[in-house]
Amino acid sequence: GVFAHLEMLEVQAHEAALKQEEMEEQEEKLARLKARVQELRLQRDELRAKVDLQQKGQLGKEGVVSDPAQPSARAVLEWKIRSVKAMLQIFCLTGISGKLTKRGVCFCISTAYKGTYLDSYYLDLLTKPEVKIHRHSIPIFIPLEQIAKKYLQTDIRRFLSVLSDHLNAYVGRRYQADQLQEHFSDQIEGTLQRNSLHNLLVFNYKVSSENQTFPFNVRLLYGDLCCSLPTEVTISCTPEAPAALAEMAAAHSDLFRRTALHKAFRSISGAGASVD
Amino acid sequence: MDEIAAEFIRRTVLKIPRGEIKTLLQKWGFLSETQLQAINFHQIKENISLDVVQLCEENSADIKQAAVLDIIYNYVYSNKRVWSVYQMNKPGEETEFFDISDFKKKFKRQLRSALKNVTINFREYEDNAIWIRIAWGTPYTKPNQYKTSYVVYHSQTPYVFVSASVLKSNLPLLCQALVVASNYHEIREMELRSRSLNSLKDIVFKRYSQAFQSYYPRPLEDRKVSPESTDLRVIQENKNEKERIQRVNREVFGEGPQPKLEFAQYKLETMFKSDPKMNVLDKKEPFRCLVKFSSPHLLESLKSLALAGMADAPLSPLLTCIPQKARNYFKIREKKGLFPGSFVSP
Repeated sequence: GVFAHLEMLEVQAHEAALKQEEMEEQEEKLARLKARVQELRLQRDELRAKVDLQQKGQLGKEGVVSDPAQPSARAVLEWKIRSVKAMLQIFCLTGISGKLTKRGVCFCISTAYKGTYLDSYYLDLLTKPEVKIHRHSIPIFIPLEQIAKKYLQTDIRRFLSVLSDHLNAYVGRRYQADQLQEHFSDQIEGTLQRNSLHNLLVFNYKVSSENQTFPFNVRLLYGDLCCSLPTEVTISCTPEAPAALAEMAAAHSDLFRRTALHKAFRSISGAGASVD
Repeated sequence: MDEIAAEFIRRTVLKIPRGEIKTLLQKWGFLSETQLQAINFHQIKENISLDVVQLCEENSADIKQAAVLDIIYNYVYSNKRVWSVYQMNKPGEETEFFDISDFKKKFKRQLRSALKNVTINFREYEDNAIWIRIAWGTPYTKPNQYKTSYVVYHSQTPYVFVSASVLKSNLPLLCQALVVASNYHEIREMELRSRSLNSLKDIVFKRYSQAFQSYYPRPLEDRKVSPESTDLRVIQENKNEKERIQRVNREVFGEGPQPKLEFAQYKLETMFKSDPKMNVLDKKEPFRCLVKFSSPHLLESLKSLALAGMADAPLSPLLTCIPQKARNYFKIREKKGLFPGSFVSP
């Protein structure tokens, strides 16, 4: 039949319409994309123009094309130099630092005692033909020649380490004696007897017991030159002193052997103060 | 009171500049504050000295007190004397526990065993300096308080500073006493002399400014920045040369002040080099010549020679080696060998 034929024609028409629609859609899409491409091309051209302008402008000022976020090579170099210099200066604070010289090396030994930086001493060494001390500013009473004879040729690290120990201990002993004299001069009778190396200290101080004051005589012997604490402490008092003082003398003697001199004195003089 | 002591005190007071008399008497501490207040320090020195002696009589001063006043005077006015440096030597290497009372005892005992008639006084100062005053007598006469030697010694060092100003015959006794008291073996005089005791100490104790190279940031407060000419029309023609000289000076002399020496003496025993045809000194003897540099402050003036345009920089090492070699008396002899030159004797 006819209806079947009509149906067939309807279906064909429908399909054709669909195809038409598809094609129209596709064409629309294409048109849209083409328009987009145009847009982007336009944008690209605008940006290119902008970049060109910037390039021309920069050439006038610096002559170097650079990304402003990245530092210049010169600035980097300057920063490197500054940080190396700072590092070298910090090395001095570690106690032993050196600088190469034309004929050898110059060492600087910086001393300190418990957080207080004290004197610096210099050693100018020649390295050819053998290691020799050219000049120095080491105090004359430090046994430099002895230490050099033992270690300078064979183990220069040990030499510097031993010398540094001597110097640090010396300034430490001297610092303690200075502190004692500065802060506790009212309790010391007479003068504080020292010597150049500060390895023997003798002084008198007053102690009170039973409402009476008695003089104590202290003799501090620093047997180890690399140590800032005494190896031998002798405290003596007058023969008429009460027996209780002997105990006090022993306690003080122990204190002087274990603690820094001025700190020991602080705990002796301060009633009830704790030992640092 | 002892007449000798009284006269000695009077003469010592007369030596002191009028403005300083009160200060020195206070340092002496023998007269009380009230007694010092009673003295009129504005009158002429003759009268001040008489007043002082009067008060000393009240306090019964003896020769010991007079000696202490003398030490104080010489400590403050140490530049009135010429000081020499002696160096001691010992073979051992043990550490010394220097005990000053021990030192004093040994010194007195040794000196008195050789010569009974001596006055010996000690005084210690803050910088660990021990001052010894010795008034010399003879085996038959009492010590003469006006014939004194002064010795300054720092414990545990091999150097002694001596201002002798007396008969040479007493020096060996003094040296012997020093060696025994300080536990050394031998002593010899160095070729180093000056009026400035502190500068001598700086040189041998290596406390003077040496040019050490380091990265350690040193304080620059002492640097004197020469005022640059603000007129831009003025240009320094030899700026480079000036900077070179300053750099060389810094390398040789260091940054800080130099020790104070008054002279450097060079004794030449070299051959006179001349054209043989001139026939001068045909005996070929060394031409003896003494060159002496004098100055109120020798090393500072040497430092400024090149800057002032009077000498080339760097200066001759014979001049610049003075603090390093710790000597200002040199003997220059002919170098023996193939190449005639000169060398400095050790």
